[in-house]
Amino acid sequence: MQPLRIALAQLAPQLGLLDANFARHHELLVEARAAGAGLIVYPELGLTGYHLQDLAAEVAMRADDPRLLALAAETVGCSAVVSFVEESTDHRLFIAAALLEDGAVRHVHRKLYLPTYGLFDERRFFAAGDALRAVPSRLGLGVGLAICEDFWHLHVPALLALDGAQILVNVASSPGRDVAAVNAGGLGTAVSWRTLLRTYAQLTTSVVIFCNRVGVDESVSFWGGSMVLGPSGDVIAEGPFYDEALVIADVPLADVRRERIGLPLLRDERPELLARELGRIVAERAGLADDSTAMPSSR
Amino acid sequence: MSGRGEVQAGALPPGVQSPGVQPPADPDSPLFELPEELAIDTGIARRVLTAFIRAQLRQAGFERAVLGLSGGIDSALVAFLVAEAIGPDRLLCVLMPYRASSPASRADAEDVVLRLGCSSELVEVTPIVDGYFGHDGVPGAGGVEALGASALRRGNAMARARMLVLYDRSVTWRGLVVGTGNKTETLIGYTTLFGDSACAFNPIGDLYKSQVRQLAATVGVPEAIIRKAPSADLWPGQTDEAEAGFSYPQLDRLLYWMIDKRRSDEELAAMGFEPAMVDRIGQMVATSEFKRQVPPVAKLGPRTPGVDYLYPRRRPGSARR
Repeated sequence: MQPLRIALAQLAPQLGLLDANFARHHELLVEARAAGAGLIVYPELGLTGYHLQDLAAEVAMRADDPRLLALAAETVGCSAVVSFVEESTDHRLFIAAALLEDGAVRHVHRKLYLPTYGLFDERRFFAAGDALRAVPSRLGLGVGLAICEDFWHLHVPALLALDGAQILVNVASSPGRDVAAVNAGGLGTAVSWRTLLRTYAQLTTSVVIFCNRVGVDESVSFWGGSMVLGPSGDVIAEGPFYDEALVIADVPLADVRRERIGLPLLRDERPELLARELGRIVAERAGLADDSTAMPSSR
Repeated sequence: MSGRGEVQAGALPPGVQSPGVQPPADPDSPLFELPEELAIDTGIARRVLTAFIRAQLRQAGFERAVLGLSGGIDSALVAFLVAEAIGPDRLLCVLMPYRASSPASRADAEDVVLRLGCSSELVEVTPIVDGYFGHDGVPGAGGVEALGASALRRGNAMARARMLVLYDRSVTWRGLVVGTGNKTETLIGYTTLFGDSACAFNPIGDLYKSQVRQLAATVGVPEAIIRKAPSADLWPGQTDEAEAGFSYPQLDRLLYWMIDKRRSDEELAAMGFEPAMVDRIGQMVATSEFKRQVPPVAKLGPRTPGVDYLYPRRRPGSARR
């Protein structure tokens, strides 16, 4: 199996300027393909910018929008992950990431978890996705897409891996914060992301790709630091903090098989146990069954 | 802290005396005191802030910036950051002393201008302020009553006179007004509404005073400015810390644990903070909430600015053309 060359387009989208952002995506696709990349990943809302508020409805597009199809048309012989505001037929707005392959829109993932706390206010402006699917890819391995906050929920990478993903792709607009000197590398956000990305790569024995944007929207600065990790948790490539970059990583895909044979965590996974216990917890939380783990005094 | 802004009288420390002129600092003493938990990565902060300044200007369609340079550490730090971000030739520093302002402050501000090589201008605010309050027993526009105005009213007027000058120079210089207020004074409300807090954007509003000092020391702000006692410079010898009755490192630590780390009053007391100080600072933060927010608009129509009409400031088409 040939190593896969991955390009991470760590760019700074212009807020609300679809045409300019599409043009930048086209340029970088050409550049990445010229560099031999088989997979090009762009950050969350790379086509629209992040801090949209009421602009969300104005930049929303259908998954079959001609502008998106034109970008997809340039992916003959390669794969790309792009992110935009998707409007459904019933006019819900989603933060979406699409897998474009061989000229077509292969799969659309709608962000499942919309942070609405602290500096985030996504649920006010967007609908949450309802489905999580790993999809087969022309790369020969299953691909699982997730968007930023999705990865702050443990079961997202776990379910994607169980569903057949061997490459987990997270596209992000992560605002940098907590510049305390005690944080290695000087940024709390970066420390957190590095920890969880590494953990997911190791526990799912998968390639993990993280593409984070840079630039400034209003008060927040996005920190970049995009990363590719191998299935043992090793960092294969890492983008700079805060600067735009096209980060190139060569990933030996054969490592996934080797890792999964040597460390068969997924083989030993117990989805039926998970389903059973989750079924019980859901019933108990809904009041449809007694809480079997409650303290005796609170019954 | 009566020096700047509408701090309520009840929040002022009882019985605090004006300390007189400070003795010169010992040159062998540490440049500043930095509580451990407040130490920041200055390399990252510097990169974020210079990129932030560039982005704010670019997104607004401006190439230049203007700020009020007092001779204190906050405006000096912002001047150094702006000069680093866009070049000193695109920065205008305006020195705006009042007749009672300390000549040492002006000398420190001139030193910053000299070191940066930026443009500067001197605009005395005395005629503006005295024109309202009057002077030497001669009433101004504010009438006879205003002759006896308190230091608080005069301080507020000075801050607003400076705002007036900066926003006028913003037009002639074709630059945005850069804010110079730090997180400590913003949180306790030691600012004048529509005065020193008025700006197009503020690079240092999320840095406590101790962190301002830490960053200032790495970007080239002169040592004398870092060392001297912070002051609103309304009368000779006035210092922020003497007025408040505690030091900035103490205050910064308390605010950090109270606000950033969400500790309750009981937890703060258990950490060793004086309950009376916790109480007083908590009150100052609460009573100054109005200074940190856009005024509420009475909701009547279907879509109301700031309530349910919510656009980013820098939406397509918003930049100056």
